Amino acid sequence: MPIISPFIIYILRKGAFIIATFFAFLLVIFALPRAIPGNPVAALLTQIFQQAQANPDTVKAVYRKFLEEFGLNKPLHEQLFDFISRLMGGDLGTSIAFYPRKVADLVASYLPWTLGLLIPAILVAWAIGNLLGAWAAYRRRTRVDNALLPVFLVLSQVPYYWLAMILLYTLAVTARVFPVAGAYPPAMSPSLTSTFILAMLHHYTLPFLSIVIVAIGGWAIGMRVLVIYELRSDYVEYSELLGLSDKKILGYVFRNSILPQVTGLALSMGTVMGGALITELVFSYPGTGYLLFRALSTLDYPLIQGTFIILVSTLLVANLIVDILYAYIDPRIRVSYVGD
Amino acid sequence: MLRGVSKIISPELFTIRKLDASLAVLLTIFALGFVGSTVYPVQPTAVVGPLETPPSQLYPLGTDAYGKDILAQLIAGIRGSLQIGATAAAISLLIGVLIGLMAGYKGKIIDNLLMMLTDIVLLLPSILLMIMVAAYFKWRDPLLVSIIIGITSWPWVARAVRSQTLSLKNREFVNLSKMAGLSDFRIVIRDILPNIASYIFMAYVLLMSGAMIAETGLSMIGLGTTQGVTLGNILFWAQVLEAVRRGLWWWFIPPGATLVALAASLLMIATALDEYFNPRLRGS
Amino acid sequence: MSEPLLLGLGLRASYVLRIGEVRAVDGVDIEVPRDAVVGLAGESGCGKSTLVNVLLANIRPPLRIKSGKILLDGVDLLEMSREEVRKKVWGVKVSYVPQSALNALNPTKRIIELVKDAITQHTPATDQEVVSLCKRRLEELNLPTDSIHKYPHELSGGMRQRVIIAISTLLNPRLLVVDEPTSALDVSTQKQVLKMMLDMKRNRIIDSILFVTHELPVLRQVSSHVYIMYAGKIVEYGPADSVFFNPLHPYTKALMYSVMTPEPETRERGLVAIPGEPPSLLMPPQGCRFHPRCPYVMDICRSSEPRLVPVGEGRGVACFLHHSEVAS
Repeated sequence: MPIISPFIIYILRKGAFIIATFFAFLLVIFALPRAIPGNPVAALLTQIFQQAQANPDTVKAVYRKFLEEFGLNKPLHEQLFDFISRLMGGDLGTSIAFYPRKVADLVASYLPWTLGLLIPAILVAWAIGNLLGAWAAYRRRTRVDNALLPVFLVLSQVPYYWLAMILLYTLAVTARVFPVAGAYPPAMSPSLTSTFILAMLHHYTLPFLSIVIVAIGGWAIGMRVLVIYELRSDYVEYSELLGLSDKKILGYVFRNSILPQVTGLALSMGTVMGGALITELVFSYPGTGYLLFRALSTLDYPLIQGTFIILVSTLLVANLIVDILYAYIDPRIRVSYVGD
Repeated sequence: MLRGVSKIISPELFTIRKLDASLAVLLTIFALGFVGSTVYPVQPTAVVGPLETPPSQLYPLGTDAYGKDILAQLIAGIRGSLQIGATAAAISLLIGVLIGLMAGYKGKIIDNLLMMLTDIVLLLPSILLMIMVAAYFKWRDPLLVSIIIGITSWPWVARAVRSQTLSLKNREFVNLSKMAGLSDFRIVIRDILPNIASYIFMAYVLLMSGAMIAETGLSMIGLGTTQGVTLGNILFWAQVLEAVRRGLWWWFIPPGATLVALAASLLMIATALDEYFNPRLRGS
Repeated sequence: MSEPLLLGLGLRASYVLRIGEVRAVDGVDIEVPRDAVVGLAGESGCGKSTLVNVLLANIRPPLRIKSGKILLDGVDLLEMSREEVRKKVWGVKVSYVPQSALNALNPTKRIIELVKDAITQHTPATDQEVVSLCKRRLEELNLPTDSIHKYPHELSGGMRQRVIIAISTLLNPRLLVVDEPTSALDVSTQKQVLKMMLDMKRNRIIDSILFVTHELPVLRQVSSHVYIMYAGKIVEYGPADSVFFNPLHPYTKALMYSVMTPEPETRERGLVAIPGEPPSLLMPPQGCRFHPRCPYVMDICRSSEPRLVPVGEGRGVACFLHHSEVAS
């Protein structure tokens, strides 16, 4: 019987859902400025037009470009069609604040810093948090757990950027162990030399730590509960009565508890990203958070929109990767039921 | 046998101590926010002293870069943050419970559609959505900020309420009400809601701490309320005016620490309630 | 009479909780002879699962042993450390098949991986040897040999139960302890599982079976000896034929009548049909623990507790109705 493997079906379903989510998101992005009373984009347009008196040539160019890209004088469905077709062609429009730079180029130059900060931080926090959580669960009702749990609970409620402020103040401003701003010394220009890489890591440490330390809390809380539940499952008792060693059984428990945490990884990335963007502000780290802040404070709508589209696309792709990984490591999805 | 026993094990002492400590912290902060301004009647927005003075007898938490009193701001900020947190949490809860009840009770197509919507919103990070929406508003009063936070934070409540409703709707007492010819609305109000009340209370507590943290995030990126003082607002000005690099610790530590204490005590209360109501976590 | 395979003497075990002590096993003597199928029956909550854990020496807080001995081939299991029991007894001399086959296997491991992890704890076999041992055994028991390379969710409930029994007994333990092995299965699968266990005994894979259940009809089919447990105590024991033919204790009678009801619905609910509730083991009733539900209750039953006394033919009963018979 030619059945399609459940693995493929699972991935196709996830993929379709993620694409649907992306389009739903585009719709929101498109509708938002147009639905808000007094259309903020139109208002900005008027404002730019009025400024045209002062600096006619550039401002007029900005105005024309902006009018064209948002197409506010066309009917709504044509605007939507234009919006989507331009996007599919990879055109995110032109920035106002950085005119005439393209939004896509701008975001592309800031994004690597954010991802470089975010991805290692998320993975390291995930690994450490899960290990600590499992340890606390295994030592439940002992001093270890009683001491760790409140720490996890408090950590999970600390905003990344506030811990960033504390670390910056204690370790950079007061103790002067780490630099106070940026991703590398202003006098250097990026290169692949060991001096530069060392300097970069030096700047990297504090932003990285502020994300890792906070994120550990949430993962540990989740893992602790998962392991507590798992330790009570029937297979743990049966395996023990088959004579398996504690070490082997804990291995089973850890592995099975970590599966839901892989799914959790997909869902939590957005929250961490949101926090990390603001953390970048605290360290003046040249990532998308910093770019977004500039765009927000100058009401550069094309840039705001473009940054969001790129960030959300990145997240959705990351989600899909995590989902595929999950399906691969969980045999219940990978291997179908073929019993009688 | 063991399952029977686990039902009667009393809640752990540790949980009770945790609950006591959290309640004490919470009440202290509430008291500071609501009674503080009568005991310490200083205008949070008025310039009252020299610029950037460290804490002293005259200014218990020092002054900011404009010479405004930080303790007075903190008192007003607690109130502002709690107000936004409480309102936003109520909005999320309303949306989440409504969607969850409808999806769980009605089932079929309605369930599928609502859960699809829920999963989409769940997949899109709420803080990014908030920033995106807030960016288009030039003026944002506390209510608007609460709405923005509220309409993006409900999905997990909807999912949890849905699954609880699913497990309740086939119980005997619901079937009885159905046979008695009660309307769906009355069944939900009479039979389902009371049974998930403890969960709803817990969700509200969690939503509230989440909303206060979200408010601070929005403020930090410059999209908080443009009216009144909140904890996030204080942190925003401290950040913009470089309080950290200039060593003005009294400006950014108190609001952040208050926020963490508030959010953590709310979370601990929710956790303690969960251990109390959720028998799966009890026993050995 | 040869020395019994397993002998539990004066066993008392309690769950020690903050609210008090739940005496789930309260002075039990039990004997599993060689080449026998011993049934242990009682309502759920009577302490039989606890007794099983005690007999396996699987003691974990809040469960505690208060007194007693468990002699397996003359060696007291309660004198051994948990590690020692795990290495030398479980899976080697005594094997256990749990109540729920559904969740007894690690869902993310192929069954053969679990078997390798288990067997290599006891003997220095290579993976290859474990696989062929496993296959030979499945063939002997007429089970599909490829099932060991599957994940638990790929097998049906009945198949999973049989595979669990097969892998639990790979090392030919003397005693197989099964806890409600058939209650989740439909009737035809039940039969297959029971037949397989009896075949294993016939083929000398195992010597004896301790069969725990609340379903007396099943016990009637398979057991040679029975023990009836109520509220932490054994109330009646003896050769199965004799006990089933002529039950002495009112509780045994009630148990039998309650499950004899022909309607499948009542049979499903099994012993719930006995009027009244099983007593709380936290505060058991004064006197005979069955007296609040007993149709033959006498004054003495309310004040003093009947001992379990032998009444001939290898039988014993704890009931004043029969004490007087013995006395007269």
